[in-house]
Amino acid sequence: MNKGTGGGVIAAGFSLLFFSFLFGPLIIMVITAFNSSSFPRITPWECFTTEWFAVLIGNDRLMNGLANSLFIGVGVVLISVPIGLAGALALSEMGPRLRAALYTVLITPILIPGVVLGISTIVFWGALGRGVGADYGSIFYDGMFLTLAGQVTFISAYAMLVFLARLQRFDPTLTEAALDLGASPGQAFRKILLPFLSPAIGSAAFLTFLASFENYNTTVFTILSGNTFTTTLASKVRHGTDPSLSALAVIIIAITLVGAMVHEAHTRRSQALRDGSAARSKIYGNPVLRVIVHPLCVFAILIGSISFLTYQGSQYDASVCKQQVLDEKRARQEQLLEEQRQRIKAQKEAAGATETGTSVKKSPSAFGGAFGGAAPKPVETPKSPSPFGNAFGSGTLAPKTD
Amino acid sequence: MLALRTMFDAFKNKHGLGVACFIGFAVFFWALFLIALPQIAMLDYSFRFNLPRADIGGPSDVYTLENYAYFFRGNDGGFNALDVGILFKTLVAAVFVTIIDIMICYPIAYILAHSATGVAARLMVIGLIVPFWVNEILRAFAFRILFGATGMINGIGMEIGLWDTPIDFIRADIALYSGLTYAYILLMVFPIFNAVEALDRNQIEAARDMGASWWRVHWRVVLPIAKPGIASGATMVFMLTAGALAAPQILGGPSNLWFTQLIYQWFNESANWQRGSAYAVILLLVCIGFVTMMMRVFKVSIGEIGR
Repeated sequence: MNKGTGGGVIAAGFSLLFFSFLFGPLIIMVITAFNSSSFPRITPWECFTTEWFAVLIGNDRLMNGLANSLFIGVGVVLISVPIGLAGALALSEMGPRLRAALYTVLITPILIPGVVLGISTIVFWGALGRGVGADYGSIFYDGMFLTLAGQVTFISAYAMLVFLARLQRFDPTLTEAALDLGASPGQAFRKILLPFLSPAIGSAAFLTFLASFENYNTTVFTILSGNTFTTTLASKVRHGTDPSLSALAVIIIAITLVGAMVHEAHTRRSQALRDGSAARSKIYGNPVLRVIVHPLCVFAILIGSISFLTYQGSQYDASVCKQQVLDEKRARQEQLLEEQRQRIKAQKEAAGATETGTSVKKSPSAFGGAFGGAAPKPVETPKSPSPFGNAFGSGTLAPKTD
Repeated sequence: MLALRTMFDAFKNKHGLGVACFIGFAVFFWALFLIALPQIAMLDYSFRFNLPRADIGGPSDVYTLENYAYFFRGNDGGFNALDVGILFKTLVAAVFVTIIDIMICYPIAYILAHSATGVAARLMVIGLIVPFWVNEILRAFAFRILFGATGMINGIGMEIGLWDTPIDFIRADIALYSGLTYAYILLMVFPIFNAVEALDRNQIEAARDMGASWWRVHWRVVLPIAKPGIASGATMVFMLTAGALAAPQILGGPSNLWFTQLIYQWFNESANWQRGSAYAVILLLVCIGFVTMMMRVFKVSIGEIGR
């Protein structure tokens, strides 16, 4: 490491801090998925449970939104990858002046706020629909179509950037050689350029699908009265939450990690095979290890262990522990109530003692004051989360629990 | 026209007629029907009254400045301090988030490009990307778990006795700023990384041999190379932060709106699309104006964005 220019201990420490900022919130969210407390939290820990996954799967609206999102995502991939490819090809052939102008036009959708894109999409297609005299049931007022249009607008630009990066490394003499050898232009395109671009097509498809699936800002306007996975999720989070969303995060993170590991195994393997170091390396030289680190095998192992964990989790029953926690809470509430009663009784006696001889009219207010000050509040003590905790717990509406 | 014609012929000779037609059609459709016309339609819409459907296109459907006037003057004709204030606050907060992101991401990008090697570098790249495959809403939700009144930080803080009553991080907008900073880190790291990676290591060593201190090396050698990357990242982070909707809805305080939330309200709660469009146009113009101004100040061109 190069000391003094950012290497060494400081760099390591900073990286550590940075990645704990990156992963900390996610890890905590994952842990809350297994806490039986009805508001997602770690402290106080109640019971280990897997019931939130069942709650998640049972949410029809979310599952319906998931279907919509998958449909839109596939549509966006099918439209925006070709458009992005066309944009990249057009840019790569242009003169510098024209290129700069077109580049500015095509890149702006990335910079325009998603909200603005969504609004402009519904306004434009609505106006077009009115122009041709279509009614509200037509495609111009269809949430799915509008979402496709709105998302393709900027997601195509992502795809275009991927293709541009790949095209920069393309050697145009290859196409010229093919043409000289008698290939038709179309053949040269299919046999030379497209195969060269195929890795970029893969990553563009992945990127566009992810961007479409995740998008909220544009979709929340263009989907109109319908819902996608992300919009359902957002409305759920805004209107109070329960740990089933954490369970969802667990699933998404698991998928992500599996994907990342398989991809890593794949790149390492193909790299080792390509540069010929496979035979010499310890892992790829050993026949057993070689099979184990094959991407498919890695995938199978991961899926196997996840299914095993899922099965184990589905067999796990948290009801005993939950009953225990509930009993504890009840006991605590009883105890608090009892203390309350004692206090009130004591105050009553004290009030009765002082009031002997004074006007009787004053006594109701004295009682009122005593009750007002000692109103039973077992629910709000932070240490005893109650069944009502959920109602009070959701962020913005939360009262100051003092 | 001639330029287009010659270009089309160039494509035809190089890739074939079918491909040339496809490129021409796709780019035309994208640039016109998806990018240009919708923006123009929105601009047109923002100058109209909010009429019932039957009256649209009728004699009362005329252009007006009413929607824009409302932004500045409100209902009573005075100064609309609320809405203008929200726009101003949104911009300031977006700048703030952008600056924090630059400060966090520049060291990481530099470490990634020049200090980390082999496995560590690969792991860092994966570690950077993986959190951003998780849904934006869920990332905001994670911050809500952290910062809520009964959240993790309050829980621990009260447990070990740092403070007695829960601190309202949500009302104080701390949750929102952290969430926004988190949300767009990736968009800042990679442009800076791409720029810094191009730097020749020998330049750093030469500067060090000449006796430059570490901050001087960064200030005079690394930063000038990183500048286009920082500008590109800052532009994207600023625009996305100013245009963010999910994070303010989830993490924002109840009395503390983001400008996009105002637009959302005009559309979904007041059903006044015209005024919503006007507000969207205002947001777009102000953001673009601000970014162009900043690009002038730091002398970068838009062609460098997204590289």
